[in-house]
Amino acid sequence: FRGCSGGSTPSTAPPRLLTAAQLQYRPVLTQDPRLEGQITASTFVLDQPRCVFQDYGNADIWLVVALNQAVSTFNTSAVPGTSETAFQSFPDPVRAYMTLNATLGHYPCPKPDGEITVLRVGSETSCAQDVSRPTCNGPLPGPGPYRVKFLALEGSVPVAETAWSAPIMLRTAKSPSSVSTTGSGHSAGMIAITTILSILFAILLAALVAMLVFWSSDSCGDSSTFSKPESVTVRRYNTHHVYDQPAARL
Amino acid sequence: MAKSDDCVHILQGLLVFGNVVIGMCGIALTAECIYFVSSPHGLNPLVKATESSDIYAAAWIGIFVGLALFALSILGIIGVIKASRTLLLVYIILMLITFAFEMASCITAATHQDSLTPGFFLKQMLERYQKSEPANNSDNEVTKTWDEIMLQNHCCGVLGPSDWQEYTSAFRLTHSDADYPWPRKCCVLDAQGLPVNFDGCKLGVPGYYNSNGCYDAISGPVSTHAWGVAWFGFAILCWTFCVLLGTMFYWSGIEY
Repeated sequence: FRGCSGGSTPSTAPPRLLTAAQLQYRPVLTQDPRLEGQITASTFVLDQPRCVFQDYGNADIWLVVALNQAVSTFNTSAVPGTSETAFQSFPDPVRAYMTLNATLGHYPCPKPDGEITVLRVGSETSCAQDVSRPTCNGPLPGPGPYRVKFLALEGSVPVAETAWSAPIMLRTAKSPSSVSTTGSGHSAGMIAITTILSILFAILLAALVAMLVFWSSDSCGDSSTFSKPESVTVRRYNTHHVYDQPAARL
Repeated sequence: MAKSDDCVHILQGLLVFGNVVIGMCGIALTAECIYFVSSPHGLNPLVKATESSDIYAAAWIGIFVGLALFALSILGIIGVIKASRTLLLVYIILMLITFAFEMASCITAATHQDSLTPGFFLKQMLERYQKSEPANNSDNEVTKTWDEIMLQNHCCGVLGPSDWQEYTSAFRLTHSDADYPWPRKCCVLDAQGLPVNFDGCKLGVPGYYNSNGCYDAISGPVSTHAWGVAWFGFAILCWTFCVLLGTMFYWSGIEY
């Protein structure tokens, strides 16, 4: 697993206009492996340009980060480390800055299996305000869109450059108040509990009212089918008529 | 009249049995609600911090309803055996009042349970986690609770680490996005509590950070408790309904 962070001494040689070789390679965001932090609010992750600058062993390979609108106005004779390409003045007035200086030795070809070779643009927070470090790889100030390309310089002479990448849009964070907390409404269980309990309670109240109404109106709808344990009916036997019978016969 | 005596005795026996069950369930409900109120689970600060104490109100009502059910079941048993109209009338009316309270408690518990959506926890976490000027102690509690949850369950955020990227937060105000795409606790930590691979965690390389959300770990225990209060109370009330109907029928048949 290798990363890369920039920093090198600026070159002060006068710029010379020369056409640099146009390489077919286009910088891409890292797709493999899938990184959660591929794009954040102020950083993004690029694949390292492995096996791209094989013919330029003596060159310094710089990463140019530009605003989408500034792509057409970027001049390959720009000198890294000067105020015209300083990160601290990006995006205004500087419209494209240069950072992440490396040599071919940093990008050996072919890429070993199992290694994650990426460039994290925006990872240096310590030098973001430090004007003495114009090639700082500082966090990007806005959501973009940005476009990047790699530029190989020998001394201050541009010898090769890649194509511009597709526009890269960074994340914009929403406010927490936009989170909806209401959910999907009431669950079936809660509705079931409420309705069933309400119905049961209503039945009980109705039964209570009916009970009291029947009690107070003394209706005979319910005869006293249950008797109290104390009251026992005792049948009284009249024994007198036994003695009357013989007197009637006589 | 032997047949009606048998019916009387059967009905009395059923009512006594029903009241015994109600008494035992009342004790169980009290115990369950006491356990819920004093729960040792570390998630209570999150629910308490919402300043919505509905679930605790439901549990407190449950405690008293349980005790009332136990006392009333004893009254009911005495009233059925003595076949006393007065006692049973008092029993029925008090039981109806208890029924109403328990109904309120069940519905409150079920409604509150529905309000614990992922969005609810997400909003609380974004607004309070690592708040730099904590308004009161509950903000510190929220931060501590979240740190513990993320550490013990190896999870990050409510739905995932992307929560910290998609929304601004109190955490984001004090921690820059480039250095802290998500809190340090979301990284895979070694035995000393330091990230195993710092850059890997910041990049989001699988294996060096926790990629799943904590919502399942949070909602599980709270949900179990709330449904316990709601559904157990519902079961008790259904049984009580049957016993009360039987008691009313028995009452209306008593000779006075």
